[in-house]
Amino acid sequence: MSAAGSSNPEYVVARVRARRGSLYGDEEYRKLVRMSPPEIARFMEESTYEAEINALGSRHGGVDLIEYALNANLADQFEAILDWSEGRVYDLVVRYLRKFDAWNVKTVIRGIYTDADTEDVEVDLIRAGSFDDRRIQRLLEADSIEAVVEILEDTIYGEPLEAAYADFQEADVLVPLENAVDRAFYDHLLGSLGGDEPTRQYERFLKAEVDFRNARNALRLARSGADLDPADYFIEGGELFDRATLSRLAANLDELVTYIADSTYGDDLGDALRELEEADSLIAFEHATDAALLTYGDRLGTIHPVSVTPIISYILAKEREVENIRAIARGKEAGLGSDEIESELVIQ
Amino acid sequence: MLEAISEFGNVAQSSTGGTLTDPSAAAALAVGLAALGAGYAERGIGSAAVGAMAEDESLFVNGLILTVLPETIVILALVVVFIV
Repeated sequence: MSAAGSSNPEYVVARVRARRGSLYGDEEYRKLVRMSPPEIARFMEESTYEAEINALGSRHGGVDLIEYALNANLADQFEAILDWSEGRVYDLVVRYLRKFDAWNVKTVIRGIYTDADTEDVEVDLIRAGSFDDRRIQRLLEADSIEAVVEILEDTIYGEPLEAAYADFQEADVLVPLENAVDRAFYDHLLGSLGGDEPTRQYERFLKAEVDFRNARNALRLARSGADLDPADYFIEGGELFDRATLSRLAANLDELVTYIADSTYGDDLGDALRELEEADSLIAFEHATDAALLTYGDRLGTIHPVSVTPIISYILAKEREVENIRAIARGKEAGLGSDEIESELVIQ
Repeated sequence: MLEAISEFGNVAQSSTGGTLTDPSAAAALAVGLAALGAGYAERGIGSAAVGAMAEDESLFVNGLILTVLPETIVILALVVVFIV
């Protein structure tokens, strides 16, 4: 509920472990890959997504229905986790879930910038972060970016956004605002963690995520051929890269993978990294890093059963499930074959 | 919880006149401490059990059994009372 009071990892972990059992496994994915979008929606209706599919079924159809139901369910589950958590556990979980706040803020800003309908923006929001419904409603009703900045005044995004707003007014591009949001998120992700052994492990996990994100961004930039310096998009806080090494390594996939394999992650992530070495394309690299993070999270969840780590491990697994189902649905819509879709999935 | 234990220790120490040298007083203290320990253990197990039950009601019996398991400590401590 809030960061006050003593923490209750036992309760949250028990609930989260029960929910983990109902995530889709290999078997379900194999079935889903052979289904058409309406069949997927039906399949989801018969499992954990029943409430969302029923609620949205009258307004949307086809792949959109699946997509919105997935988002709604994700938001619901994560909101519930935040509701259950108290004290220290809440603090640790909300750090990670704030990424949905960042996503929502960016979506709203983009919506205003492009004059999109409020309804269109609303369905793209994922209400899983720490913002309550009232703040989200106010964000949706905001008619200018200045108003958005004002609404977020008392959040962690307030100051950075205000600072970036001047840049935005000067250049009329969204990059400074979006960077400000991202930076606020990453600053608070790793700031003043400290604490006991599980928390340190959690911190290492978050750093791994930042590292992989950096590697991925650098590769994307390098592959896109755009004349942009990867160092400009560097996220502080990881331990593997600094600006200079990242710019140097981004040009060469093999070197980058060897660099990661030789690093501290090599010991922990042996198998996943071997896959990474075999990964020849950017997508395969991204999937391998995703799978590596999942494995990492799972391992932590087993080492410290009563701590924040199993909760994070569930959050990751759930996100992965949502992305997998979305990939299947979108792939089917685009007419991809089963094999191609299967190669898009990240299954542990 | 931890504050309670240290408070307990203080009381035990400050009671002059050798209260703790009286066997039945020491046994009573042992039972009390055992109950305190059981309570602390049940706190964690209980909240996990309630969490599991909230997700799946069929876990009620398992949860109940696991929650009261630490009570055995108190029963064993009670044996001491009859021995002294």
